[in-house]
Amino acid sequence: MRVWRGGAAWLATGAIAAALLLGSSAAAAKSPKKKPRSKAGAAADFDVKLPVLGTKLQEFPPGPGKAVADQACLQCHSASMVLQQRLTEKQWTASLEKMIRWGAAVSADRKDELLAYLVANFGPENERFEPLVTRPVGK
Amino acid sequence: MRRPLTRRAFLTLAGAAALAPSAALAAAETVPKDRRRMLQVNGYATDAESPLDALTTYITPNDLFFVRQHWNPMYPDARRWALIVDGEVSAPMQMTLADLKKLPRAEATCVLQCAGNGRGLFRPPIPGVQWRYGAVGNARWTGVRVRDVLEKAGLKSSAKHLHTFGSDKPPVRVPPFHRSLELDKALQDAIIAWEMNGVPLPALHGAPARLVVPGWAGDHWMKWLTRISAQPEPQTGFYMETAYRFPETPGEPGAPVPPEKTRSLTQISVKSNITEAPASVKVGTRATIRGFAFSGAPDIARVEVSEDGGANWMEATLDPRHDPYAWRLWSLPWAPKSAGTVTLLSRATDSQGSTQPRDPVWNPSGYLYNGWHSVQVEVTA
Repeated sequence: MRVWRGGAAWLATGAIAAALLLGSSAAAAKSPKKKPRSKAGAAADFDVKLPVLGTKLQEFPPGPGKAVADQACLQCHSASMVLQQRLTEKQWTASLEKMIRWGAAVSADRKDELLAYLVANFGPENERFEPLVTRPVGK
Repeated sequence: MRRPLTRRAFLTLAGAAALAPSAALAAAETVPKDRRRMLQVNGYATDAESPLDALTTYITPNDLFFVRQHWNPMYPDARRWALIVDGEVSAPMQMTLADLKKLPRAEATCVLQCAGNGRGLFRPPIPGVQWRYGAVGNARWTGVRVRDVLEKAGLKSSAKHLHTFGSDKPPVRVPPFHRSLELDKALQDAIIAWEMNGVPLPALHGAPARLVVPGWAGDHWMKWLTRISAQPEPQTGFYMETAYRFPETPGEPGAPVPPEKTRSLTQISVKSNITEAPASVKVGTRATIRGFAFSGAPDIARVEVSEDGGANWMEATLDPRHDPYAWRLWSLPWAPKSAGTVTLLSRATDSQGSTQPRDPVWNPSGYLYNGWHSVQVEVTA
């Protein structure tokens, strides 16, 4: 399996990921301390065991813009979603605009920095991504 | 070594044996331990594909079945869950699982494929989950016909589309995953399923109930189903009007396609994959090449393998096990004639005469990749 050149590759555990998620995702705006319970009428609970497959999560490579990417992208999805992309500047511009429209937390003065980071790291020649091999999914 | 059959394995075998007694039992329907793994392409929301060498059984085991989630799911509480049935019906209802189970039991063994399976193989690259081969599986789904539920609610003739809703909610300002499909298809063979391969539907796969739409891509198979609504018009929104659309006519790879030149993506395309081939083999030694093939048509007519870049094709043997819209396993004995690196290609033809093309139709969202599958084999002297 390939790892990032010269960088710490992995966040530790699913538990960390779940905590991170619960702390930041609007979809998971319930207290992480409480055991999830359905409220009457509310259809659903957030599953604190997520990510269900992962024991590990991949991390953004170091470089200028990583902090913006961490803040903006990881709110809704793991870094893998970005690490696997191979997009032109035009495609990244469109993707970033869409994500901002959809609520990604990027301030106007950090947008160019994020775009440059995405273009520099995940352009058409990006072949650094390999899926994580995990155990079979729970029943 | 003989291991006791689990109930599920027994049911799988029993179900298969009813269709094809000898062949079903001859093919050991287990995935070897060293192949039992998943390829996680996204940690959260969870997206994971099955490795091809684990997709060697007629029924894909639940724990090796690909997972696709748009967002972190909001699992319904099965004890409080009730399906809302409304819209153009004379008697809107809320049906619990117990209510649904009073209707005639329906079952389908068929392929579920993510619309974007193979997106990562398109060139030029397309944004989105970079699936390669394994966002597909074949499972036995059990539940109740959509037709029976809608008829119980008094379906009106004004209804033309079935709007579907699940419990998962998008984060921040992401549009909701609201979908619809043509009512004709829903009435024809769609199922509201609560079992997958003989066990209650796993949470990851949409418990307590999901939609099953045989022959159509996964975007129609709403998970964590909470509401179906019969309506005169199609659903609107991002996941109907922008996503899950396909060019009406193929264009140049990389070229934009205006929305008015697209149609809603429905049936999956004819496709085969090679799941087992030796990494290396000696000239003249016989090896067995295996794989699966499926289509949006009810059956596969033919699978062929080429060792010369598609100039000549050898016809594979289709496994007798089949259900409408299920996949066909296939195999081909092959003895390489000369040393060197050989590229084996596979292509399928379905029961309606469509043949898997060398190159798939490039489309701006990267759906339905179905180019010939190739694997390389080192042939030694």
